[in-house]
Amino acid sequence: MAALNVLVSGCGRFLRGLLTGPTVTSWARPPARWLREVVEIQEGKTTIIEGRITGTPRESPNPPNPSGQCPICRWNLKHKYSYEDVLLLSQFIRPHGGMLPRRVTGLCQEEHRKIEECVKMAHRAGLLPNHRPKLPEGFVPKTRPRLNRYLTRWSPRSVKPIYNKGHRWNKVRMAVGSPLLKDNVSYTGRPLVLYH
Amino acid sequence: MVSLSRVLQQWATFARVRYLLDGKMQPPGRLAALASVRLQGLHKPVYHQLSDCGDHAVIMNTRHTAFSGNKWEHKVYSSHTGYLGRFKQVTAAQLHQKDPVAIVKLAIYGMLPENLHRRTLIQRLHLFLDEDIPEEKSFLNHKKCPEV
Repeated sequence: MAALNVLVSGCGRFLRGLLTGPTVTSWARPPARWLREVVEIQEGKTTIIEGRITGTPRESPNPPNPSGQCPICRWNLKHKYSYEDVLLLSQFIRPHGGMLPRRVTGLCQEEHRKIEECVKMAHRAGLLPNHRPKLPEGFVPKTRPRLNRYLTRWSPRSVKPIYNKGHRWNKVRMAVGSPLLKDNVSYTGRPLVLYH
Repeated sequence: MVSLSRVLQQWATFARVRYLLDGKMQPPGRLAALASVRLQGLHKPVYHQLSDCGDHAVIMNTRHTAFSGNKWEHKVYSSHTGYLGRFKQVTAAQLHQKDPVAIVKLAIYGMLPENLHRRTLIQRLHLFLDEDIPEEKSFLNHKKCPEV
């Protein structure tokens, strides 16, 4: 019984994968719910409260590679972006800095992970100052002296110092950047170093 | 090419000039590499180890240097005074808070050749926390950090 259920759910996932796979771009997308702004009009004794549809940001028409499955492939950005491309990364984040889910952005799994990692690095480098988390009312945070950093892989609070660096044949290296981005195109010709 | 008389040419070749480096948002290792090359005089074709042809290096905004990766937390600066129990290990973040100039200074000290010239070359290095530099240090030769 349990085995049959597992088999059926597996088949369902496979079928759903088929439907959301290559066939989606050729069919019309189901109409999404647009953003509305509330407008109140007073006409004598009647009050009309209306939700007027305002534009939501949509993907620009005519991508260079329409047969791509995710937005990154469609716009030929596959191995070409990094943590400093804030204009690209800010299209996949919420106003307070969190990532949007994959079913909303339409990214494939590996690109979603890469973008998530780049967004984290950009936050730690201070490149997204307008996407700070929301603080409770009237809360004034203590301004500590901030250290400048870039390409930070781990969260600063979670990292322990390397007290023993090890011998020459067995050094403990410091991680820089992210291994998810190791296939990126290098225009300077210098190899990417992930461990300093 | 303007032709100079030989006296002026000699002065231009052997004068000791001041190079100004801006450390804002730069990794301290890269600053140290540039500064150590100019302190030793390796950027000159007339370099010789004994001919004392190095220049001065002035580095400003050392408080605003940026480490890549998690080096502020990973990198540890160790020292031992020689007495028992006096082995001290501080992280780069703690050292920077205590003395913002120390990280760049230690980086340059490690990149200079380990001989008796090193102490004199460090005396020719001038490090400043912020933009305000005393008047006599402000540059005759302004050198910008190259784009990397």
